[in-house]
Amino acid sequence: MFKSTLLSAALVLGAAACATAHDEDALRMAPPGDPYVQVSDVLPLPAFLPGLGTLFVNPETLPAGPFLSYDHDGKLSATIYMTPLEELQNGTAYDDLAIGAHHVSSVDIYYNAGHPGVEKPHAHVVLFHDDEAKGRLAK
Amino acid sequence: MKGTARGERIWFAPRGLAVAPGSTVRFVNRDPGNSHTATAYHPEVYGRTRRIPAAAAPWDSDFLLPDESFEVTLTAPGVYDYYCIPHEMAAMVGRIVVGAPGDAGWEGPSADAEDVSPEVLAALPGVEEILANGRIEEEDRA
Ligand SMILES: [Cu+2]
Repeated sequence: MFKSTLLSAALVLGAAACATAHDEDALRMAPPGDPYVQVSDVLPLPAFLPGLGTLFVNPETLPAGPFLSYDHDGKLSATIYMTPLEELQNGTAYDDLAIGAHHVSSVDIYYNAGHPGVEKPHAHVVLFHDDEAKGRLAK
Repeated sequence: MKGTARGERIWFAPRGLAVAPGSTVRFVNRDPGNSHTATAYHPEVYGRTRRIPAAAAPWDSDFLLPDESFEVTLTAPGVYDYYCIPHEMAAMVGRIVVGAPGDAGWEGPSADAEDVSPEVLAALPGVEEILANGRIEEEDRA
């Protein structure tokens, strides 16, 4: 009985590992599918945000995200996190956040005064997934 | 309505404006990376403490996407304070002075300091400053 529990646990673990590897493929092109929703479909924001691209997020993970950022051709270009400064100051940590793709070429971190969805002043942490990503998201 | 490219700062341009009674003002979202509202401080709009003349009708533009606009005609003389819903926390507010003290029915600025933050109060230009300059831009802010 114990052995079979271990075995099923191992099977579940194996399945989870597969799902992760498979997910990265699934996220590569927009739309990433469930549970991600296009931010501009649920919030009053433009479909393409200069500098951030077209964003998808799992609403359960707000405000930190990850927000998956796609370029005009629907290619995953960045993974973005939004962390309210007040929460950080109050001791909230945003740990073990998911990532859209494992290759990261550079990271930008900057202040944002707020926008629909994450209205408190927050930091944008932007992980670019290739060298040209920033240029493709610029406008 | 303007903002920096990365949204570090957002503001109404101008944030202070003097107009004659009966003027129509148009709010245009010139910020390509954000949405904004122009919303009057009024109990009928999200239950806020009134900061426009009692004789004036409140307004709420709702969210304006880049290049979208909203118009309102202001007839009652007095001081009108308004804010941007997602950016009030960042003190994105503006003040319009319609007419001048002495006009029939003139109502001066709200004395309330409870319903709005100190940052919002600090961001609202003074009535005399607006009347003396006609318009106050963000860049003029001390
Ligand atoms: Cu705004």
